[in-house]
Amino acid sequence: MKGMAPMRLSLQLSLNRLSLCFFKASSFVLAAGLLAMAQSAPQVHLDADGLAPRPIEELTGQTIARYYALAWRDMASALDSNNAAGLGEEFVGFAKDRLTRRIAEQKQTGVHVRIVDHGHRLKAVFYSTDGAAMQLLDQAELEIQTLDGNKLLDTQNAPREYLVLVTPGADRWYIRDLEEVSAKPF
Amino acid sequence: MKRTSRSDFEKYRRLAMLALLWALSGWARAADLHPPATVEAGHAFSIPVPGSGPGTFYLVGPDHVVKRDVSLGSDLEIESRDVRAAGRYQVILCDSACTSAPFEVKAAQPAHLSFFLHPSRVPVSTPNSIDGTAFVFDQYFNLVLTPAAVDFQITPASGTGFARRVSSRHGVAWMRTDSTKHEGRVQVTAASGSVQEARVVQQVAAEACALRVKAVPSGNMVTLETDPVRDCSGNTLPDGTVISFTTVDREGKTTVDTPIKKGVARTQLSVHGRAQISVACGVIEGNEVAVNGKL
Repeated sequence: MKGMAPMRLSLQLSLNRLSLCFFKASSFVLAAGLLAMAQSAPQVHLDADGLAPRPIEELTGQTIARYYALAWRDMASALDSNNAAGLGEEFVGFAKDRLTRRIAEQKQTGVHVRIVDHGHRLKAVFYSTDGAAMQLLDQAELEIQTLDGNKLLDTQNAPREYLVLVTPGADRWYIRDLEEVSAKPF
Repeated sequence: MKRTSRSDFEKYRRLAMLALLWALSGWARAADLHPPATVEAGHAFSIPVPGSGPGTFYLVGPDHVVKRDVSLGSDLEIESRDVRAAGRYQVILCDSACTSAPFEVKAAQPAHLSFFLHPSRVPVSTPNSIDGTAFVFDQYFNLVLTPAAVDFQITPASGTGFARRVSSRHGVAWMRTDSTKHEGRVQVTAASGSVQEARVVQQVAAEACALRVKAVPSGNMVTLETDPVRDCSGNTLPDGTVISFTTVDREGKTTVDTPIKKGVARTQLSVHGRAQISVACGVIEGNEVAVNGKL
């Protein structure tokens, strides 16, 4: 019986190794707590199975998930504080223009939005052959509170779906378009 | 233990009734705010609001936030500029309490194409070597998510062109095609409705084909010159492409790299005794000649 504990430990280690073997190269899980940089960032899971016309490299998938999590962290903070400077560098193009405008108008009206982010399931649906653009569908679990000053106007707590266009930069992936679409399973 | 008197019971009953009425009034008002489920971007509309007295109206959208005082009992006018960005909007109406309802703004008709063609230069007759990706946007630069037909027209400088129709998915249409047989400019146009964008890819000669060298000896020197260097489709390789001449004689092995000028590569080498000369362009090898004896 004394030999049972080491045997159980050994069996557990073997199972752990086995589960690692089953890790799919196209599926990346990013735990926000793993990265000091993204300590308060939400959890993002990227599924790139069957991506066309170009497959995704593992490192690319990890980078996208990391910066997407940071983008949501920064966006939530900027929408709550009504400070567009807090958007960080993750947004460019239409996405940045629209968010900047919204934050300016929120500030003007005294409205602010608080997002409690319970995580994102990303599905990569398009990756151009030259690697210049990727399209993602994001199924997000969010609790969104709209406030006027300290007065709570509205709370929404339902799954949301976003269509996201990301493009690569020198050291990161940028969100170029972020559009909420009708929520339906994908 | 204190017993509940009849007057206490009546008081609790009234309180419960008031709470129920308050909850029902809130529910009724929430049910009364009925924006359309979907609206096309840039289209004005109105939301009827029953009731009376003053209230505050809020519209919270992806790029726009509105707050204004309204009189209940009249329609809430949503202007076209309030709903330009596609996405989910929330309308909120507050008097003593707040009620809200969502609606979705969908992109309008295709008005812009963002078209990427890759690569800018491509060898002729290469399968699946040209990629075109078109993003379909409306006039407000919302991605048009409704499937739209995108026609890709491929027009080579010589030879007949061809077209391919692709339906966009999530606002993206892409195609992949072979490069054609002849070098030169190929124009690729993406069109959706009345919108079109053109890009150009330059087709260049592929690898050398049937590479041949001839040698003209003169004393212990030999002049080497290739035939015009072409690919298998007959396209001339561009000037500057490097041709390697290799000589093996009794002194050993010598290689000279020389660029193509005006379609041919030419060089002069000294040879010692009988020599074997070969020619290559990259990994493509040509013929061999022997000098100081029979050519």
